[in-house]
Amino acid sequence: MSNIEQVQQASNSPILWVLCGITVFVSVLQTVLYMRQCSKMTKEARIDPAIPKEAFRVGLISAIGPALGVFIVMVGLMASIGGPMAWLRLSIIGAAATELSAANIGADACGVALGSEQYTLLCLAVSWFTMALNGAGWLLFTGVATPSLESLRNKVSGGDMKWLVVLSGACSLGIFGYLNAGEILKGVGNTLAVLTGAVSMVILVKTVCKKVPKLMEYSLGIAMIIGMIFAVGYDQLFM
Amino acid sequence: MNEKELMKQWKKDSIRIGSPTNILAALTAFLPVIWLCTTYHCWPPVSTILTAWGMVAASFGAFYFVEPISYYAALGMTGTYLGFLSGNIGNMRVPCAALALDVTKSETGTIQAEVVSTMAICGSIVTNLIGTTSAVIIGGAVLAMLPEFLVAGLTKYASSAIFGATFGNFAIKYPKIAVFALLIPVVLKMFTGLPAAAVIVCTVFGTLLIARVFYQKGMLAS
Repeated sequence: MSNIEQVQQASNSPILWVLCGITVFVSVLQTVLYMRQCSKMTKEARIDPAIPKEAFRVGLISAIGPALGVFIVMVGLMASIGGPMAWLRLSIIGAAATELSAANIGADACGVALGSEQYTLLCLAVSWFTMALNGAGWLLFTGVATPSLESLRNKVSGGDMKWLVVLSGACSLGIFGYLNAGEILKGVGNTLAVLTGAVSMVILVKTVCKKVPKLMEYSLGIAMIIGMIFAVGYDQLFM
Repeated sequence: MNEKELMKQWKKDSIRIGSPTNILAALTAFLPVIWLCTTYHCWPPVSTILTAWGMVAASFGAFYFVEPISYYAALGMTGTYLGFLSGNIGNMRVPCAALALDVTKSETGTIQAEVVSTMAICGSIVTNLIGTTSAVIIGGAVLAMLPEFLVAGLTKYASSAIFGATFGNFAIKYPKIAVFALLIPVVLKMFTGLPAAAVIVCTVFGTLLIARVFYQKGMLAS
């Protein structure tokens, strides 16, 4: 058996689904526990029970668009790192780009290219160690330091609730400004997607959703589709 | 119980659930590689693993700290645990949570806002799991059926469009701050060779500083 076949076979072993499933299960467990905490708090704080349900639905619906993107990326990633690992890495922290970089870095450390004939089971192990170690960075930091982040936020806001609201908005704008800057610098297609996505959202929220509040739930999905149509249209016409 | 006590209780429960699960997931993620090395007797030399770890930490290490800090204001405590375990924070978790707060007209900092953003993130995690799991089962077949431009659109532009739309949604509330939030990283990325993590830090703190000045001068409509 060639190295490539060996690596392919090992990374698609049936038992791996179970082993990867354990971590996916931890994520599911956390989600279920937090939903229970929400329903408990809804009762204690006498929040209208319709509100958390509505919020859950908004999350469920608005994630469909981005999840379709993840779906496709996942199929690509399955080809390069195997089904079970792709499922594990994209179900928990990790974007395809990060995981592919980590897998590549692992191969680099062995002095070979990912997926080449020289990429042995030992190199595969290095790639997998690299992905797990990298992911652990975020998980351990948030697992340990999140309460300190809360104190940090309280310190920065100084107890001024109005400023806390502005602060949260400004932080979000900053981080999305950064994410958008990265997209804009990729090229005209991406810039169009960013701009039309942003403009459609503003128009939707300010006009259409005011008249039809029910549409607000779908606003993000609609804006995303409009942004994508413009970008793909540009590609079709000019590329 | 009053709002303050409820919030205290909420945070205590959040930590009790989130901290052990995130740490546990960091550990269980090593199970596949341990199985691989044991079954195929292919334990790599420790030095190779350390080299790879060093290389990956050089590329992403700063993000382990910068991202949780920068996203904290948008995600809150529960959202931080959920978001950093399930990933897809920028393109899924924050947009969903922010939209849910708008739809339910919940005010930042209240217990209702905590419940609402947590539920929205939970909803988005369910969708994501369905997405990745169905990709495993039917992914190849579906991809073969989709026209190429659609696949290209989803892989190349889905993130751009959702980032843009989410930015637009935040910009409605603070258009003046939004201008700077976009300008700072574009300029930094175009004209300086700063590493990505440093650009995030400068953008988030720069934006925060400008917001503070506007806020103190009363230039922000509330």
